[in-house]
Amino acid sequence: MSVAFKSAVDDAVVDELRAIIGDDDRVLPNVSSRASRTRVPAPFPVHRWSEFMPDVAVLPVSAEEVSEVVKLANRLRIPVVPRAGGTGLSDGAVPLRGGICVDVKLMNKIHEIDLDDRTVTVGPGINMLKLNEELRPHGVFYPDDPASYPCSLVGGRIGTGGWSLLGSRFGHTRDLVISMQVVLPTGEIAEIGDGGGRKLRKSSTGLTLKQLFTGHQGTLGITTEATLELVPRPELEFAAFFAFDDYMKAHRTTGALTRSGLATLAGVVLFDEWKLRYLRRDDEAYIPQPPWVQAVVAVAMYGTRAEVEPASKVVMELGRADGGKYLGDEISEGDWASRHDRYATPLHGRTKDGQVVPMSWHCEDAALNYSVLPKVREEWHAIVERYIERYGIFDDWGMFCYTNGAYKPWADYLVEIDVGIWEQKLDDENWAGWVACKREIAEVALKHGGSITACHGATREGDAELVPTEMGSAWPVVKRIKRALDPNNIMNPGKQMLDEAYK
Amino acid sequence: MSIFRLGDQKPPEPRRVTDDVVERFAHVYEVEPEKMQTFPQQDLPAWDTHRIVAARWDHLSWMHDHFADDVLVAGLPSETMPEEEEAG
Amino acid sequence: MADYSPNGDGELQREFVERWRNNAYGCYSSGHKFCREVCPVMQVTRNENHTPTAFHAHIVAMEKGVLSVEDVADDFVHCTQCGACELRCPNTLFTGDFYRHRTRTVDVVKAMRALMVATGNEREGWKLWNERLVEAHNEPVLGDTPVSQEHVRDWAEGLDIPEGGESVLFVDCEAAFYRTSYSRAFALLLQKAGVEFGLMREQWCCGGPAAEMGYADLARKHAEHNVADWRAVGAKRILAPDPHDYIAFTEDYPALFGDDYEFEIVLGVELIAELVRDGRLELTQPVERTVTYHDPCRLNKRKGVHEAPRELLRAIPGLEFKDVDHVTQWSYCSGGGGGLPIEKPEITAEISGRRVARAEGLEVDALISACPWSERPLTEAADGRLEVMDLFELVAVAAGIEVGARP
Repeated sequence: MSVAFKSAVDDAVVDELRAIIGDDDRVLPNVSSRASRTRVPAPFPVHRWSEFMPDVAVLPVSAEEVSEVVKLANRLRIPVVPRAGGTGLSDGAVPLRGGICVDVKLMNKIHEIDLDDRTVTVGPGINMLKLNEELRPHGVFYPDDPASYPCSLVGGRIGTGGWSLLGSRFGHTRDLVISMQVVLPTGEIAEIGDGGGRKLRKSSTGLTLKQLFTGHQGTLGITTEATLELVPRPELEFAAFFAFDDYMKAHRTTGALTRSGLATLAGVVLFDEWKLRYLRRDDEAYIPQPPWVQAVVAVAMYGTRAEVEPASKVVMELGRADGGKYLGDEISEGDWASRHDRYATPLHGRTKDGQVVPMSWHCEDAALNYSVLPKVREEWHAIVERYIERYGIFDDWGMFCYTNGAYKPWADYLVEIDVGIWEQKLDDENWAGWVACKREIAEVALKHGGSITACHGATREGDAELVPTEMGSAWPVVKRIKRALDPNNIMNPGKQMLDEAYK
Repeated sequence: MSIFRLGDQKPPEPRRVTDDVVERFAHVYEVEPEKMQTFPQQDLPAWDTHRIVAARWDHLSWMHDHFADDVLVAGLPSETMPEEEEAG
Repeated sequence: MADYSPNGDGELQREFVERWRNNAYGCYSSGHKFCREVCPVMQVTRNENHTPTAFHAHIVAMEKGVLSVEDVADDFVHCTQCGACELRCPNTLFTGDFYRHRTRTVDVVKAMRALMVATGNEREGWKLWNERLVEAHNEPVLGDTPVSQEHVRDWAEGLDIPEGGESVLFVDCEAAFYRTSYSRAFALLLQKAGVEFGLMREQWCCGGPAAEMGYADLARKHAEHNVADWRAVGAKRILAPDPHDYIAFTEDYPALFGDDYEFEIVLGVELIAELVRDGRLELTQPVERTVTYHDPCRLNKRKGVHEAPRELLRAIPGLEFKDVDHVTQWSYCSGGGGGLPIEKPEITAEISGRRVARAEGLEVDALISACPWSERPLTEAADGRLEVMDLFELVAVAAGIEVGARP
């Protein structure tokens, strides 16, 4: 089969890429290589697959190769789309205009472990679980722990500005990355950090660029190396789950826990009524729970035994002070352990008549403040209910709220509503319906002073249109920066409304 | 030692737990088979169910150990479930 | 040459897509890729085309008219059918038992390879291999013994094993013609423990490898022959020391014959472990060595068997056993399965090289496996720096048995 190139890539360009890469097995213009680097786990209009394929994929092994590819792209005005794991939950790695997919998976080495200055330096193609298997004998770990922990890659975590389940204790990607080497949109290789040398954490020299280069969704360059924190491996993990007969009691308990001042608190998760209903369908922990269980709060702590053991007693008190009932040791232990690979299972999808069908998963990840959580939950469920009624191919899988502040459990929340989409039934009409639903959900977050996305990125239809609104008075600054760094608009073009920078 | 006999691989008849859930093997929940008309179930012999269940517990245990040297739990029974209904 | 594009005379491809559609969407709709880092091929190539995710997504792409079988044929070669992905996949691990629907990458890969054969997209190496299988009725493994029915029992020379009986020992091709120390060790252990058993009249290959490479009809012929032979010699029980054969007899053969399959299948390592546990086999010879154990994919991942081999290792006096847990080993492999060594020997070499390097990192003098197919690539990769032994060979030493054959 052949799918036409969308950009200025042609056979001559493929030859140039082969000359740069020097290994034909790492330059892939064939259609199955392109088809395999199109979607990510976010909902995808599968009926329009070829529209989103890159024109060619390259698998570089060095920053120099990446740099030459990007320079070629600038010369010929060809889009470049960086792809690490391709496990993102928004469309950061989905090509919108064909072009060259720079797939960094071969750059997966551990370059250096420095136990004195407490850093590990890696390529962007390494997975955190695999990294931690190598770090374990040294008594350290890299605690960047998303729901995709066993499969996402460091480069993508940097590109998306990832969120970690353990962020309240150990920080998120942005906090755990000390510095990085980046190929800029014009092809230069730059060392980006807080300031100072590669292993320096905090500085005020010049302009502090690290923040800018984590979470740009691949629009400001390609990370080719990263120097990361080495955190002492925890002696002890403690997890406890509490059930409530009323969401507001659970909400208050969440507040009490997150404001407790306990330093080893890693995360608190609030499950709403819809989530409990969903879990009762197919989660062994919840299937036999009595009907009065309407909401759940889960808490986890990590640290030394000296700290965690006494703190755990405080958690048990706080968890039960406002009507919370302990779900038991087995659930607390088992459910917490499963959180590290918590992407949704397709067969949790149900049609309106309760039939099991495989659905793809939309995972909302607004960032919102504590005070608005109950109201947002009501508004979001009402929106999804309307779309289920109208289109029939969606399913409401309930909501989670997670602590979102790095080292600050009391701060804001990542607010997730999970929506199932019966992918096999997608057509233009109900895809447009999905996009409209997505947009309404994002608008509610903005209305309540929140952010469209805590970590996935606002890169797709339904979110992207609202980026200028969310950025508000900062939007002109964002546009100037994008245009300054990427004058030819080749670095992941079309994402996040950044095309506006060129008008 | 397990001896494979084809006859032993047929799963037992389901017993109802809730409207949506049944149980064939002790403590192994399954979806109500009626719900899988549109998307049919596979032929899953008994050895495979047992393999999956065992692997799941092994994986969760591995995950705990991956993140911390030890796991602490409250050491209390469930406060939501009556004693006799607690899953083993 | 017929046009196999889905918009042309693509009948076979259409049927294939319809048959595997649900499997494909079961994976595609999730897209989460927890399989990727446990896949031994992916660990080496880092090429997304070789992921279990791509294997399933390709079928959806075929349904949508984006890809056809010739576009994907090379991708599907890149798999040892180790089963790590389909076990690790949350759709299996967390809910496969709940829904009675799990990820089945091994079946998907086999079926696609069969479609490749049926549509003129065969691989040259596999084609040649299976042509020789047709001639010799056993895998054309490289070794000192010429592969033919005439020599299929040469390994048993001097062991006086009768033909037939209620318990029949099935000897794997690699062990019959190459690693004969494996088959001799197992047979001698059984004899020492007083277990009665016989051999088949005419033992053909189990047919498993042919099925793995896409030669489904050939695999069926072999299955039919073997079952007829079992019946002819009065077998009620088949003793299967090799994990590949055990899978063929407990999965492939039941799928072919349905209820018309009355045999009991006994896994070799579990039988030996029981004999030791019951005292029928005494391990009295100390073995003063330091070893680690390789969980064969087709025991650990595919069948959940990982305790019995460890029980045996711990029962050997004098042995220092440095273990690596069986969940960590979900991402280990020798690279020997699924026909990969025939089509992509360099990838097999890299996979086994990494496995041996991990063993070397533990500072042991031997890597013990429980699958003869793994032992050839592991031995090559070890290149004399480490000994690679089979568990039965080691247990035989501990039982004071002189095996007398090339290892």
